[in-house]
Order: sequence, then structure tokens, then C-alpha cells
Amino acid sequence: MKNQLLFLLALTVLFSSCRKDEEGVIEGPDLNDVYGPFEVVSSLEPSQSNVDYAAGEDVYFTCELSKVIDWQLTITGQTSGAEKIINGTTKFLDFESATWDGSTTYFPMFKAEDCDVMLTFSGESDTLYTIVTIDQPKTNSGFVIADFETGWNPNWTTFIQSGAGMNFNILTTPPAPQKTSYYNMEGTVNWDWLTGLVDFNASAYGSTTIPLSDNGDNLYFNVIVFGAPGVPNGEFNSRILFRFDEDENEDGSFNANNEDQWGFEQIIQWEGWKLITFKYSDLEGSGNGGNIHNPDKLNKVSVLHLADPSSGHAKSGIDYLIFTEDAPLQP
Amino acid sequence: MKYILIILSITICSFSGLAQNGKKVQFVGGARSLITNSNFNSEGDTTTVPRSSGGNTLLDLGFKINPNANTEILGMVRINNEFGGFWGGGVSFDIRQLYVRGVAADIVRYQIGNIDYKLTPYTFYNHNQDILTSSIGTTRIKEDVLNYESFYKENTWRQQGASVNFGIQFPSVVQEIEFNGFISRLNPTNFANILERLYGGGSAVITQSKHFKLGVNHVSVFDLDSTATDSSIYKNNVSTITYDIHFGDDQFSYGLDGESGTGFSRDSYPTEDIYNVEDYFIHFRMYLNNKDKGLKLSLGYMDNGPDFRSFGAQSKRINFNRDNSIFSRYTNDQVLRSISTYDVYNDPSLYNTGITIGLMDYNPIINSVLPYGIATFNRRGVYLGINYTDVNKLVKVDAKVYQLSEIRGQGTTFLKSFFMGNVTTTLNAEKFWEGDKALTLMLSINQQNSTRDGDMEFQTVDLNSTQINLGVEVELVEDIFLMGNLLAVNAEGTDQYPVRNAEGEIINYEEFSVEGSEVNLSGGLRIDFSKKSYLACMYECYSNNLSINDPYLINQASLFYVLKF
Repeated sequence: MKNQLLFLLALTVLFSSCRKDEEGVIEGPDLNDVYGPFEVVSSLEPSQSNVDYAAGEDVYFTCELSKVIDWQLTITGQTSGAEKIINGTTKFLDFESATWDGSTTYFPMFKAEDCDVMLTFSGESDTLYTIVTIDQPKTNSGFVIADFETGWNPNWTTFIQSGAGMNFNILTTPPAPQKTSYYNMEGTVNWDWLTGLVDFNASAYGSTTIPLSDNGDNLYFNVIVFGAPGVPNGEFNSRILFRFDEDENEDGSFNANNEDQWGFEQIIQWEGWKLITFKYSDLEGSGNGGNIHNPDKLNKVSVLHLADPSSGHAKSGIDYLIFTEDAPLQP
Repeated sequence: MKYILIILSITICSFSGLAQNGKKVQFVGGARSLITNSNFNSEGDTTTVPRSSGGNTLLDLGFKINPNANTEILGMVRINNEFGGFWGGGVSFDIRQLYVRGVAADIVRYQIGNIDYKLTPYTFYNHNQDILTSSIGTTRIKEDVLNYESFYKENTWRQQGASVNFGIQFPSVVQEIEFNGFISRLNPTNFANILERLYGGGSAVITQSKHFKLGVNHVSVFDLDSTATDSSIYKNNVSTITYDIHFGDDQFSYGLDGESGTGFSRDSYPTEDIYNVEDYFIHFRMYLNNKDKGLKLSLGYMDNGPDFRSFGAQSKRINFNRDNSIFSRYTNDQVLRSISTYDVYNDPSLYNTGITIGLMDYNPIINSVLPYGIATFNRRGVYLGINYTDVNKLVKVDAKVYQLSEIRGQGTTFLKSFFMGNVTTTLNAEKFWEGDKALTLMLSINQQNSTRDGDMEFQTVDLNSTQINLGVEVELVEDIFLMGNLLAVNAEGTDQYPVRNAEGEIINYEEFSVEGSEVNLSGGLRIDFSKKSYLACMYECYSNNLSINDPYLINQASLFYVLKF
């Protein structure tokens, strides 16, 4: 029996093992990162003090913290007042978590200017600051229908009702979201929903059709819309109808009887500038033509400012009408 | 071949019951009727409807057909009539069980359809991780109902598939090799992003002599490629060896047994692994059995790697992410009522009927030491087991004590230590005075403690829980029993509960803090009509103050009628 017990004990030693050393190895996030005290280990720094977005440059910010925490980077243009917000929940700010591509969260868009950068932390009073200078602002790829910076194009046409206080003009105040100018649409028309409209005809761009891709699933229409309550009623009365007329038979003009007209109506319920984006293939329309979205045969983009005739004064504005491919505009 | 004799003894002996009474068609199954009336009370709660009554009558009617001596077909239909159902309303018909089994060519035993299957504790095994105390009386009745509803039979999982079994006996060197194999379907494809997922495996158990047995086991969860447009292939493979070396005779024996192996879990695209963990485990135990003195001792060691994954053995019975179905919301804010001991014993909808791929959540109050059973990963340590039954069957004691620790720290290099003691004592008191009416007491206690030191307070863990189940059955007159139970859970302390993503990786922690208790006091009367049928009525008072702000009470009266045939 003694030998048998020794045999069993020998087997237990055999079956025992030397597991690889797990010392220093932990599973999951470090508890210190979740519950530890908060400290700023290294200060907030931009990867470069000057950035030329037009040349394809980006800037990112670095900072090391003692734990994982919710943080917010607020970048404010000193001249434009534009604001970019970047949020994260990390221990480090780095290229992955804190890169700024020159885009804007709150309009207007950034200009060539100095920007104040502020880093704040959830539940902590510490605030870090730095400055970064934009040598050239971000440029957006796409086909610009209108940004009103060079005045009125003679091939654009307009219809404005003869109501009270009608103001359908290119203005610079309040500040435009993109550069300096925008198109204002306001007035009181108490007999019709339509207060005025603008037709952006393809002829303004040197052709019978606007030069766009033929893939409506990959094409986005973007416009920055100004919302404001009417005066003196204080109600949001405006709505904008965007219309897209296709010259399907390519005879140089749109015929509503046998060609497609697509549309999208936006009711305005906000104050200030807001980006509106929709995919071309999502537009709904008359279906009088082939009932297929053909953006490459787009003959005219119309912007109609509408308001309930009984509601009184209505006001809105538009700026930076641009078609982009692959993705909506990142202003 | 002359040295190999294919002997059918295993097969034929185990299968001889198929048509033992010679009947071509038999009716098997069971019937149960349950009526409950519950009263919920939470202080200041004027929103929750306080009373709930319901119940059902169900019949599981099975047709067992023996078309020949080697084949058996079972089809079982469940007819369920909700209490108050009438003329078809509240009545449902389901297929509860369907299989064909038999012996092919007088060699291979097979079963196709519903199979209740298990292999070894680390490969494919239905551990009972969430009811750690044993019971008699009222809680025993409820446990039986839950087990029946969830198809839990001796640690098997219900699967839909096929299994085979056959044995080969040898004249020398090796006495016998027994082969087992199974394949089952875990989920069908949706022809989009979910692939056909199967679960299969088997074992070969070699009996060299009466002193030595060696098994080789393998199970695999795997996706069938090209059964959906998604190209992500999941696989969980576990391979183990089991062994049992022992000496002595039927009266006195001692030996060593155990199981060791590896397991990996992988989610991969054709070109890269997006998730891949692999680890091994070692588990062995020395044991001594003295039948004369009714004593069994065991001393074991286990080392289950932190990345060891075996979902056939780590699937939990209770899904703690489900909402309970009785008084699921309470307080004036109608917050979700978390799963309590009351629900664990009363709500079959919380229980899984099959294995789950992925690490399931657990309740640290119920089991923080071995939340996934003995196959729990990231555990290393020893345990001691004592089982004593006195020769007159007066007293039976079953005790096990674990002292374990983590192998890899969670969020810190400090490791958690775990202690679990589990003692169940059964006293057949009538044997003291040689009475002819049974008087049985069972006291089952489970004590757990999880601790972790740390440099910082948030690293420290100290969680204690105690579960007690005291049951009494008194035979008043022949076949009529008075039952009483005290089921209590007490927990206090704090822990850092790991929050895992779909791949099982820890992504965060939840601070788990508890100080309170649950108490369920119940009593009732059971009338045994036969060994297979009884009528029981019981009343229970349950209180829960684990949530300090929202304690509550549930009083419930129940009537059970259970019949098996």
C-alpha cells in the first residue's frame, strides 16, 4: 500500500504544472484607470502650432492623464467664433482620440485665424489651454451650387411675391456660416404659401445639366439653413422646399409632364445656422418621368421659401449649397 | 482481429429496457397542476398591483413506440391550459420531446432527436451553480418542477441532434474501450449574418483494469462556413483527458482521479483572427472510500487557466439578464426588480434550456467563488471533501471546502482569494426511536467569502454571503407529510463586478455593494398518492431587503399536483 500511495503522489506531482508567470499581467482595464485619483500627468500640446488644412494637414493634441476619464476639447476661432467639440473617454489624448481635421461643430466655419483650445474633464475642475493657428481653413470637395461670395449669378432666376417687408438678398449679417455672405429670404405674404424662390439653373454652370455623378446612392445634397422666428409673432413659420428638376430627355429643359421632379421639404424649427443633408436617391418625386434618380441629368435646383399665409412674417436663409460624393459634408 | 472481440454486452445490457415488457406502444409522461396566489408589498409603493394569481394545468403525453426489439420512438406532446383558460383561450400545444433511439446492427447504440447529454465536467456538463444548498420539503418540490421544466437530468443539457455509443472489449492488456459521440445544432443560419452553428464531440474511455481507467474527450462548437454571407467563423474547442487510478476493493479503496486539458475560443475571418484565447486546466483529486464506515474523503487541486473557455461546461442555468416574470417592476418609479431567491425557485422562464456561447453574467451574492461551476476559469487552489453516512442511515453529512484564488488579477495585480464551504447534513430522526413515521431534517449551509488586498481602497474586495436552507418533513400519518423550510441568504460587502463585451473581454467594472438579506419561510402539507404522484399545498413568506431603499415582501399560497407515469 505504501508503494501505491507513493505512486499516486508521484502522479500528482506529474499532473501539477508550472503555469507561465502571470505576475504583472492583469485582465481588463486597470482599476486605477477607472477609480483612481485624477491628475494631469503631461500638459495639453498641439502636434503643430500652425496648420494648413488646405494643404491636407491635420493637427492633433496630446495630453497624459492619470486615469481614464470623460474629456472634452473645445476649439474656438478667435475671429470667426466657430466652435469644434471633440469628446473622448481615454487616459491619453493622441492622434487616435484627439485629431482635428478643421471641421466645425457649431457654425460658422473656421477661417484662417488663431484658435483657443480648451480641455475640460467630467467631474473635475482642472482646465487646460493651448492655442493653434489655422494658416488656411479646410476645403471641401464637391460641386458648389452657390455660396454667394461672388454676388448674384445672372443665370440664377428668382420669383419674389409682392408682400410686406420682402427681403430676398445676399447679406453679410448676421455672420454667414461659410465665409462672409449668404442668401436671405424673408417677408410677409398673407395670400399664398410661397413667399419667394430661387432657381439655380444648370446654365449658370455652363451646361444644360449640372455636372454630377450618375449614382444617386452616393451623392449628397448639403445646405446650411438659417432659422429664425418671425417678427413680431415670435413663431417659427418658415419652411423650405428643395426641388430638383431632371432633364431626362436631354433637350435642354425640364418638362414636368414627362420628366422627374424630386423634392424635399424642411420645416424650420431652430434658431441659427444648421447643416441639412440628404442623399439624392432618398428624394421623393412626381414620377412623371422614368421614376429613376438621374443626378447627372439635373437641370435645375430650386429653393422655395414657404410660410403659412395666416402666420405672418417668416424668415430664413441659405448658404453653401454643395453636392458631395461618398459622404455628407463635414463642414 | 483475433485478439479483439466485439462484445455487445454494454449495448445490449443498457438497452434491454427498451421493450422489456414486450409492449409495442406505451404511454409515458406526466401531469401537473399548479395554482398560486401571491401578494406583493413594498412600503410606499402605490403603483404596483399587489396581488397576482394564476396557474396552469399541463399534461405531457408521450407515445413510446417499439416497432421492433431494437428501436424505440418517443413523441411527447405538452398540452398546457393556463388557469382560467376556456374553450381554447390560454391553451397551447407544444412538442416537448421527440426522439428515435435503438441499436444498429446489434453494435451501435444511437439516439436521434432530443438528446439529454453530458460528457465530463470540463467539456460538456450542466453544473448547478446557482442553487448551492440542498433541500427537502417545499423548496425540493419547486426545484423538481424547475428541473423538469428545463430538462435538467443528472447534469445533462437538452440538445437537438444525434448521439452514438458502443463498446469494444478485449481479452488482454485492455479490458474495454467505450466510445461516445454526439452532434447537435445550436442555432440555424438566417442566411445573412448568422452562420449555422453546431456542437459536437465525443469520448473514448479505456478501462485497462479495475484499477485504471483513462478517457480522451473532445468537444467543439463550430460554425459551418458558407452558410451565411457573414464570413466570421467561430470555434470553441476543448480537449481533455480523464483518469481514475485506484486500489483496494469494494469496501476500502483509495485512488487518484481527475481531468486535464486545453480549450480555445476563436472568432476569425478568413485572413485574420479577431478574437483568440487559449488556455489549459489541471484538476485532480486523491480520494479514499471506506464503505464499512460510510466515509469518503477527497483532497483536490485545480488550476483553471484565466483564458480557458468551454461553453459546454461554463454555461449557466440561470440567465441573469432576463427580466423575471412575476412582479417584474415595483416601487412608484416602477424600477426593474432584480432576480432574487424567490425568482430562482419560482420562475422557470429564467432558466436556460441549452448551452450559451459566451460568458454569462452571474450574481455575486449567489456564487462568486465558482460562478461557472467547477469549470470556472481563472481559479487555482485546493478543496477538501468529506462525505459520511452512518451505517444505520441515521445521519448523512456531505461537506466540501474550497480555498481558491485568481491566477490573473482583474484590473490589478492583486489577486482575489475565495473561500467556499458547503455542508449538508441530513438527519433521519425517526431512526432514533425506530419509529415507522418518517421525520427528516436537512440543514444545508453555503458560506462564501471573496477578498482582495490592494494599495488603494478601490482595489480591495471583501464580499461575504451565507445561504442556509433548513428543511423538515414530518410524516403525520402514512403518506401525509408536514413540510417546513427556512431559506435565508445574507450578503454584505463590496466587489468589482467585471463587465464583459460579447467576446468575454473585460471592458469595465461595476462597483457591487450589498448589505442585506433574503428570508423565505415556508410550510405546507404533502399527500403522496404513490411514489410518482402527490398533492402539495404550501404557504410562504418571503422578505428581501438587499436593496436598502426598496425592500419588499411576497406572501404566496400554492397548490401543486404532480403525477408521473
